[in-house]
Amino acid sequence: MTAYELDDDGVVVIIGSGAGGGTLANELAQRGIDVVLLEAGKHLTPDDFVNDEWGGYEMLSWLDKRTSSGNWRVAKDHPTAPSWSCQVVGGTTTHWSACCYRLIADEMRAKTVYGDIPGTTLIDWPITLEEIEPYYDLAEAKMGVTRTNGLPGLPANNNFKVMYAGASALGLNVSTGRHAINSVPYDGRPATTQDGFTITGDKVGSRWSTLNVEIPRGLATGKLELRPQSRAVQIEHDEAGKASAVVYVDAAGVTHRQKARAVVMAGNCVESSRLLLHSKSARFPDGLANGYGHVGRHYLRHLIQTVWSVFDKPVYMHRGEIMGGMIDDFVRHDPGRGFAGGYYIEMNSMGLPTTAAFMDPGWWGRDFVSVIEQYANMAGIFMSGEDMPQADNRVTLTDEVDAYGVPVANIHYDDHPNDLKMRVHGYKQLTAIHKAAGAKRSIEAPAYPASHNLGSNRMAAKPEDGVLDGNCRAWEVPNLFITDGSNFATGGACNPTLTIVALAIRQADFMAKQMAAGEL
Amino acid sequence: MSAITAHKDPKLPPPVDLPEGADWVKALALFDPHVAETLVAVARTLYPHEGLPERVYRRTVFHFDAMAAKAPGAAQTFAEFVDLVDGALPMAFLELTESYRLQVLKGIEATTAFQLVQRSTVRFLYDDLEVWQAFGYEGASVHLGGYVKRGFNDLDWLPDPPPGV
Ligand SMILES: Cc1cc2nc3c(=O)[nH]c(=O)nc-3n(C[C@H](O)[C@H](O)[C@H](O)COP(=O)(O)OP(=O)(O)OC[C@H]3O[C@@H](n4cnc5c(N)ncnc54)[C@H](O)[C@@H]3O)c2cc1C
Repeated sequence: MTAYELDDDGVVVIIGSGAGGGTLANELAQRGIDVVLLEAGKHLTPDDFVNDEWGGYEMLSWLDKRTSSGNWRVAKDHPTAPSWSCQVVGGTTTHWSACCYRLIADEMRAKTVYGDIPGTTLIDWPITLEEIEPYYDLAEAKMGVTRTNGLPGLPANNNFKVMYAGASALGLNVSTGRHAINSVPYDGRPATTQDGFTITGDKVGSRWSTLNVEIPRGLATGKLELRPQSRAVQIEHDEAGKASAVVYVDAAGVTHRQKARAVVMAGNCVESSRLLLHSKSARFPDGLANGYGHVGRHYLRHLIQTVWSVFDKPVYMHRGEIMGGMIDDFVRHDPGRGFAGGYYIEMNSMGLPTTAAFMDPGWWGRDFVSVIEQYANMAGIFMSGEDMPQADNRVTLTDEVDAYGVPVANIHYDDHPNDLKMRVHGYKQLTAIHKAAGAKRSIEAPAYPASHNLGSNRMAAKPEDGVLDGNCRAWEVPNLFITDGSNFATGGACNPTLTIVALAIRQADFMAKQMAAGEL
Repeated sequence: MSAITAHKDPKLPPPVDLPEGADWVKALALFDPHVAETLVAVARTLYPHEGLPERVYRRTVFHFDAMAAKAPGAAQTFAEFVDLVDGALPMAFLELTESYRLQVLKGIEATTAFQLVQRSTVRFLYDDLEVWQAFGYEGASVHLGGYVKRGFNDLDWLPDPPPGV
């Protein structure tokens, strides 16, 4: 086992081992770079995982308190848990359902294509789609994304049969979609057994995660040291203004200071902004890399919502991979729809425990009962759409501190009128699809806690517009990087993880080149 | 009710087995019989599944009790909640009929005490193996080989999509 000294200032320190951090750690290690990977959560194995929705949730989730404000429904339904991610080696890739779609060119030119929309802080990405396409290719290959590299799509399951019947009756373009889940054995991982529990860890290991692919491969190089149960509480800088060390607390509660050649924050958006805001100094009185005040701002969470419908006959939606269905007719920006941006329609399935909890939190009485009793006959369909960046939708620090002395984060989010228009359009489509398949009743479920957390340390062409440059490097701190969805300039419509992984590989290339040139 | 068999993950503790009859309250750590029976009546009023036996609601309240025993804050909120529903009308909640029980609960919907009880009812009632069985949710599957050979695509009342779609 590789072990670096705490005062070894030649190591890259990465905070967070999820999609972004876990991938970057492996990619840097493969390039011969010394890496210390700090992860707040435990290092679990497939044996530890359970096939149980709440059991898995409680085992894997980031359960530390947060607060919320703003007119988003989440602040009412989930006031102290507004954002949904994991605290475990592998981060939320132990939990995700592995839909893998690419941004499209228009989305990366949002400001130019959508125009001036009052109240928004839209920008164009500082990089183009062509620049990340080669990295999308690499990401899809390493993740084993279905319908790429000759891999077959996931087979249709029961819930998909419903989606297919409705969507094809309406003339929509529907398939089982693309997932980092093996439909056939690939890269040493088995094919899915259609167990329906990818989101509680995936005991079978047919789905890509940084826990089962990236981190073991990084460790095998001898260049990567993983430190689980190590909670970063502060990033320090030297007199020249470069990041110099990360202060963290281990499982025994002991505080350490790991020196660093470069620091990479990959804590899943909210935690990344929180740690930057907390890392104050005389030079950065408002938080590290926050001279222009963008850290924490422009927070995005996608327009996510589900329609659950009841049919006459059994569906058993819990059987099989949970999100194996996709419709891309509404992805492109089309001003004729009356709103900017687009959305993906995807299949969604949940077990009885979480269907009951998320269908409409707060709903009780005989009407609710009459729906949930028909769980066996229910199908689910979902959308992920682009939400509009707004300066005041943001992560801030509250006066309350956690057990590590770090202030609890508040997430403020107000819906933009564009968001409402897209949500209404989406609910209509989702319901129409189920109706066309014979639904007796459809329930519009609201957004659950934010699972696509983006934009709060965004990249921009100039420091006046965002925290990071086009290489995900802080404008104000040349050896500080961000490798999670908070680096997105705008949100796009699709599930973000494939892009996070592609950007992490690109970042590894950039960092390795800078190091070779003696610039980092 | 449905032609499936529900399974809890074998790694998890088995469901609690409460004594039938009024003695079930003896299994509780903290709640007195009045608090416990009131919460059972509340859980049933919130989620009145005619087909489910009383023991299902009792197990839900058993979990409330375990929560309360672990967290003094929760214990206090449950106690406040019972005071609220008992004090809303000149008769105790347990003595009321359904329409009055509904009136009482609607009157306190905005309180944090109500929210704790309502959310906790959803959390535990629909996580109960007997409820899974009743409503057709099969639960844990990896130890049985997943659903790949157990019906993941057996829906036969709609046409099958073309292969490879
Ligand atoms: C239920 C669910 C389903 C999803 N399905 C999909 C999907 O189908 N497709 C898709 O593209 N995306 C999906 N996502 C989103 C996806 O999981 C995230 O986009 C992705 O994991 C984010 O990667 P990340 O590296 O930013 O953060 P994470 O993967 O969350 O990793 C962050 C890690 O950082 C650690 N960390 C945070 N702060 C600290 C600290 N101070 N010190 C040390 N460690 C720290 C955390 O413990 C965590 O392990 C889903 C999310 C959820 C919740």
